[in-house]
This record gives sequence, C-alpha cells and structure tokens, in this order.
Amino acid sequence: MLKIPRVLAALAAMLLFAVAGCGSDDDDSGGASSAEKATQAKASGNVTWCIGKDTTGAFGTVVDNFNKANPNAKVKLLELPEDAVEQRRLQIQRLRAKSDECDVLGMDVIWTAEYAAQGWLKDVSDYISQNGDKFIKSTVDTTDFEGKNWGVPFNSNAGFIYYRTDEVDKAPSTWEDLYKQAQQGNGVVYQGFRYEGLTVNFLELLYSAGGSIVSDDGKQATADSQEVKDVLKFMADGIKNGAAPKAVTTYKEEESRRAFESGNATFMRNWPYAYALGKDSKIGDKFDIATFPGFAGQEGAGVLGGYNLGISAYSKNPEGSLAFIEFATEPDQQKIMATEASLPPTVSATYDDPAVKKAMPFAAELKTAIEQAQPRPVSPVYPQISEAVYNNVYDALQGKSSPDEAASNMNDQIQQALETF
Amino acid sequence: MEAATARLGRRKARKRKSYGSEERRLAALLLSPAMIVIALVAAYPIGYAVWLSLTEYSVRVPGKWRFAGFDNYTKAFGSTEFWDAVKNTFIFTGLSVTLELVIGLGMALAMHAAFKGRGLLRTVVLVPWAVLTVVSAITWRTLFEPNLGLAPTVLGKLGIAENVVWLGQSGYAMAVMVLADVWKTAPFMALLLLAGLQVIPDDVYDAAKVDGATAWQRFRRITLPLLVPAILVALIFRTLDALRIFDLPFVLTGGTNGTSTLSLIAQQELTTNNLIGYGSALSVLTFVIVMAVSFIYIRTVGGNIRSLAEDN
Repeated sequence: MLKIPRVLAALAAMLLFAVAGCGSDDDDSGGASSAEKATQAKASGNVTWCIGKDTTGAFGTVVDNFNKANPNAKVKLLELPEDAVEQRRLQIQRLRAKSDECDVLGMDVIWTAEYAAQGWLKDVSDYISQNGDKFIKSTVDTTDFEGKNWGVPFNSNAGFIYYRTDEVDKAPSTWEDLYKQAQQGNGVVYQGFRYEGLTVNFLELLYSAGGSIVSDDGKQATADSQEVKDVLKFMADGIKNGAAPKAVTTYKEEESRRAFESGNATFMRNWPYAYALGKDSKIGDKFDIATFPGFAGQEGAGVLGGYNLGISAYSKNPEGSLAFIEFATEPDQQKIMATEASLPPTVSATYDDPAVKKAMPFAAELKTAIEQAQPRPVSPVYPQISEAVYNNVYDALQGKSSPDEAASNMNDQIQQALETF
Repeated sequence: MEAATARLGRRKARKRKSYGSEERRLAALLLSPAMIVIALVAAYPIGYAVWLSLTEYSVRVPGKWRFAGFDNYTKAFGSTEFWDAVKNTFIFTGLSVTLELVIGLGMALAMHAAFKGRGLLRTVVLVPWAVLTVVSAITWRTLFEPNLGLAPTVLGKLGIAENVVWLGQSGYAMAVMVLADVWKTAPFMALLLLAGLQVIPDDVYDAAKVDGATAWQRFRRITLPLLVPAILVALIFRTLDALRIFDLPFVLTGGTNGTSTLSLIAQQELTTNNLIGYGSALSVLTFVIVMAVSFIYIRTVGGNIRSLAEDN
C-alpha cells in the first residue's frame, strides 16, 4: 500500500513525458502549399519557439503579433522552465536526440558557443552582416564563435549598483569606496552563492581591474595573475571586515533582493529586474541605481547577460524561423519586451522610445551599461570554466583558501577545462 | 497481465503430454516477455552507462568520441571532489537513518496505542512524506535564510547559534540537510514499523503482564525482538535512498560547505559540464557503492530475517 504513491507518481511522470513528446506531432501539417509559398515573399509554415517561461505574457504577445502579420505562417510558443539551468538541459536533451520540435531556440548568451561547437545551430552570419548595425555592438559579439554568427541578440542584460539614497549621498565612483562606505553602513549584498552568478559578480570586478581569465584566442588560462589575486583578496577581505555580510555566500539574485528590500543592506549588486520590484517595496522611494564603479584606478565594467535566438540545425523550417527572429527583433516588438517583460532590448533605437523610457526610467544608464559590458569567455567548455571560477572564488570567500591559492587553482582548472577532449 | 499469461501457460501446459525439458522450455518462453522488459528497462541502460563510462565524447566536435579505458575512473579516484562526496554521502546516510529510526520508532509506538482519532493521526503523520522533496527543500531553505528566515531569527533571540549562516557554514549546512530529511522520512519509517508492531499478537503482552513484567521489560524483551524484521526492512529502504540523495543538497546548498553527494557531482558532470564519460563513471561508482551496501545488508540482515521468520 505504501508503494502506491510512488507508482502513481512514476505513471504520472511517464504520462507527462508522453504528452510533451506528442506536442510537436502536428508541426508539419497545415503549412502553406509550395505554390502559395512561391507567391508569398514572407514567412510561411510552422515554427516552434522554445524559450524560458513566459512569466509576463510578453512572449505570447510577440507570437500573436507575428501570426497576425503573417497569415501563412504559424509560430507556436513552447515554454521551458523558468530556471536557466533547466532550460539548457531540456534544449540539449532535444538537440542530442536530433529532435525537430524546436525551430527557434532562446539561448543564454553563454550557451551559444557550446551549441555552435556541437553543430546544433544554423549559421546566421549573412543575416547579421546585413542587419547587425541596428543592435548594440556588444550584444552581437555574444553570437560570434570562430568567426561566424550563430544567433541573433534578443534581449540583453547588465548589472547595476543599487544604493540607499537615505544612507549615502551619491553612488561611489570606485569599488574601494563602495566597500568602505558599506563597512561603515549596512553592508553590500551580491550573489555570492556557488553558481554562475558568482562568476558574473567576480568578473565584473576583474574586468574593471583590467584582468581576464582566458586569453583572447581562447587557448590559454590567464587567471594566475595579480589582478585575479587582488580581486579575490578584495572580495574575501570584504567579508572578513564586514563590508559584505557572511550571508552573501548563500545569496542568489532573489536572496540579495529580499535582503536589500528589507533594509538590511546599503548597497546591492543586481540585474535591472530588481528595480521595478524594489519600487513596490517599503524602501521604494529610498533607493536609486548607478552603473558600476571603477576598480584599481580603472573604468567600471560589467558582464553581459541576456538571450540570443538561434535556429536549430534540425529545424524543418529555417526560413520561417529566420522570418520570426527578424520580426521579434524589430523595434516595435523589442519595445513590448522592454515595457511588458522588463527585458533590456538589444536594438539601440528602442532605448529612445518614450514608452520604454517611461517603463524603464533608467533606460539611458542601462544602454550605457550594456554598451560597456564585456562578454564572458566564449568557449564550448564555458560551463567548466565557470565552475573553476565560482568554486575557487567561493573557497576564497569562505576563507578555505588564500587568494593566491585560489587564483592558482582557478588557473589550473581553467587550463584543464580548455584542454578537454 | 502476469496472472493472465500464467493462466494461459497452465492451459497450454495441460495440453502437453510429456513434461520435463519441454515444460522447462515453455516456462522459459513464458518468462521471456518479462525478461525482455527487464532487459530493456534495467539491463540495457545500466550496461550502456557502463559502456559510456569507458568512453570520452568530445565537447568540441559533434559526435566525435574515443575509447578511454579506465581513465574516467582513475580521474575520479584521483579527485578530492569524489572522495569528499563519498564521505559526505556516508555521513549524511549514517546520521539521517539513525535519527529516522529512533524518531520513527517513537512515532510508531505512539500511533500503535489505542486512542480516539488514531486513523486520522496516521494519515496526518504521513503528510511530510507526501510532500515533494524539492518543495520541502525550498521550504527549509527559506526557513534558514540568513536574517529573514524563521529559524535563525528565533534561535538568535534565544541566544543559540547567533551569527551563524546555517546554509553557508560547514557542519551547520549538513545539520539542516539531515533535519530536512528526518522531517520528511521519519513518518515513512514510522509507518513501516507500525505495520511490524501490528502483527505482534496481544496475548504475548497479556502473558507478560500476568508474569509481572514492567512496561520497559515488555518493550525490551517482546516488542524490540519481534520488531527486528520490520526494522531491518525499513533500514534497507532508507539507507539505499539516503545513499542516492540528490534533491536536498541540490536545492539547499548546491553541494557547498561539506554537503556535496555522489549523485550531485554525477549530475553536475553529466548535465552541466556535458562530460558524458566522466559523469557516467561517477554514476556507475554510485551504483556500485549502493549495490555493495545492499549486498552487505542482505547478507547480514537477510539471513537474520529468514531465521527470525523460521523461529516464529
């Protein structure tokens, strides 16, 4: 009797998989006939767009708009989980099985190189060379792997410093100042949990300091450098002397946001999504945001986030897929993404739109932040590189290894990752 | 379905005149569908995982692979990550299963006593077990969130473990993980033990009472010995589950601060790092360890159960 729930759960799971697997069966039916295709210059056929959960409904709006404008084509939205790690897992599962279920893939910028290396994407260099100018340049860089473009920038992202206007007069202009003020005030919170977010938080400081972790040709680890040691020491000291609470080692984005909104921090590093939510919280009129300060006497720099749209190598309708991607990156649709979903556009012109400026009062700063942001290393072994970074940064933050040891371990592990078969 | 085929088999068997080898062949034939299913759903994936663990797939060139021999295993045995995971997995299993046994036994004894609303209580007690582990793990994570969580706030007020970041410090993180597991599975243990308690006949206790045995003596001399088979079955269940623990460390700590487990690192290498060969080797090692432990259990404990059953 006790086993029944398990059996039921297993059955339910199997049914779910079966249903999910059947979802795409009707994809090839109902498309426009070839005669009609010849007369229609625009998109035709069925396209399935696989991207993370449509939490705001904005993806659905863009799909509806496209379907209205293109009566011969039909785009279907296939929502993947909200968590990026799960999105990637489900996409890779389909791609490994050479499934044609997904035509257009919504990919985090850090997956693009990996997918391209595995031959899972169609080359869209032609499209980028003709239309690339309308995008912010840094976002186009994230689609590049070995000299070709494998995706079209869909939305971007860059971090900000959030600060309490009632505790400090203005945003500090250097990280050193920020930590000093944090130590005197209520501290700075960031994403210090051992995961991708910690890699981003670390690289923001390292890029500001002028350091790097991988050489430009992507073949050599460069993490055993003074810059890496300095940044690790800076971050570890921050926790030791109380500028950042010990608790940041358990914080992801949401934990940091909750700590900041509950008044437990003077500064916070977070993505733009926390702005609108913060304005609704009890400290709504007591904070403002700023682009990253400089470090070690150099300019501030961010790390680029966001999503690219790629066409699956197994898609049966690459033309229709490209037509949809073109549509989704038109200024009008980008505006919808910005105003409805708070997703930073990749198209430069969208930032000047009054509706966007109204929905994102920080639009100008955001555009600057994205323009200045640098991509994370573009590599098919990026997951391992990132693991080497966040594991060792975490050990340094926890005092388990000294900054020098952490830097040298990080370098060894990155080098090992780069030499993966 | 098996019953139907069995009936069919009997009918067929009756038609035959000669028995012996012919009958044995028939038996093999009738068993073959079940064998094929087992081969497909169990033997094939396990064999495939073992094969994958001896290979290396390229992360750069699509479809490219090479035979790696035991390289993946040598890599695992040479990494601190693997041995840390082995150590943590066994610490977690030892602590959680022991606590679950003690608490589960207490709960079972309480539920065994006759009182009003016993049926309802038995159902209610199972609720934690019915909650998905991931869901309960998220709840525990929120409970222990620094500054804002209920647990550090209350404990801090009482002056216990002040300024401790529970999920961010070695030892404390493991404690939360064990606590979350005990909360969830002690009821399951209790139910298995309750079933064992219910088959102990009442007249044994009556006789003991007549002889003047105290409550403690009755528990020590009657309940415990007669409960041993149920305890052993429950222990096997829980130990094998605990050795494969994945969801709790995945959600609570991400394997930080002395909480990484075998299943967790295998998943990390397989799905995050895309190292199919190495990840499979870690999975096979996990499988071997679990197999070895269950073998030891069945060897030492299985015989025990049989002899106990014979004694009864």
